[in-house]
Amino acid sequence: MEKEEKMMSGEESLRIITEMINKTKVNIRQGSFQLLFWGWLILVCSMSEFLLYKFTDFTHPYYVWFFVVPGVIVSMVYGFTSGRKARVRTYGDMLYMWTWMGFLIASIVLFIVHSKSMETVAPYILLLAGFPTFVSGFVIKFRPLIIGGITFWILALIIHFAGPSIAPLGVPVAMLTGYLIPGYMLKYKVDHDKI
Amino acid sequence: MTRFKELDPLLHSQLRLAIVSLLISTETAEFTYILEQTGATAGNLSIQITKLKEAGYIEVTKKFMNNYPQTLCKITPLGQKKFVAYVKDLNDYLNPDKPDK
Repeated sequence: MEKEEKMMSGEESLRIITEMINKTKVNIRQGSFQLLFWGWLILVCSMSEFLLYKFTDFTHPYYVWFFVVPGVIVSMVYGFTSGRKARVRTYGDMLYMWTWMGFLIASIVLFIVHSKSMETVAPYILLLAGFPTFVSGFVIKFRPLIIGGITFWILALIIHFAGPSIAPLGVPVAMLTGYLIPGYMLKYKVDHDKI
Repeated sequence: MTRFKELDPLLHSQLRLAIVSLLISTETAEFTYILEQTGATAGNLSIQITKLKEAGYIEVTKKFMNNYPQTLCKITPLGQKKFVAYVKDLNDYLNPDKPDK
């Protein structure tokens, strides 16, 4: 693109426009970090709560969820610093980020509204979490994440209708299908495609 | 040379069109990113960015990131309007029987 004033044909103009627009992709490297970070954090918290409830006399097993608070800080600091380092910020990046911020805000509201019956909050959280996961899958054009979002909704129904012996395992399973499996697949894609 | 006379001459240039096409789908893009994507030389890119900036099609912000200078480019509302008009004119030229009314 050196001969600046060279005459271009209409087809050439169209090719340049298409080529350049197709080059602007969402930063999916950050996406894989967030999926793996949250997938493992929630998996460990939910399994710990389940094991404490099942095998110990600990009266407040839900205390393990307080680890989510530093998790939010770590996640936001990572997002902010990598966003600052990014050489390009697409509208897709903004949609991706604000969809997850919306989920965070909705989750805080849900926890406040539901604070007196936390034992039944899991299907509602999965219901909410399915939405940004599903949308993010479309934003980055990554089918495992779209399917992951759908599994959140299926598991929300299963938790709601299943007995108390199965329901606590719904969240760890959701973390595997919705965050960890798509997260590792995305990481593999980033590492191998050099995106 | 006359058939494109109705097209915006500022956009009807390979590198300037590539710059604006990149910026149309981004909120901001750094100079080095545009350099990499367009394959232009730094000098030429700098000249074309200045032309677009002087015409009010793009905004250029300079700041420091970890002690290194960073040049951020962003398309302006005027630039968006001109790009849309350019694409419409191009479409009219490529499809003269089906004008996009």
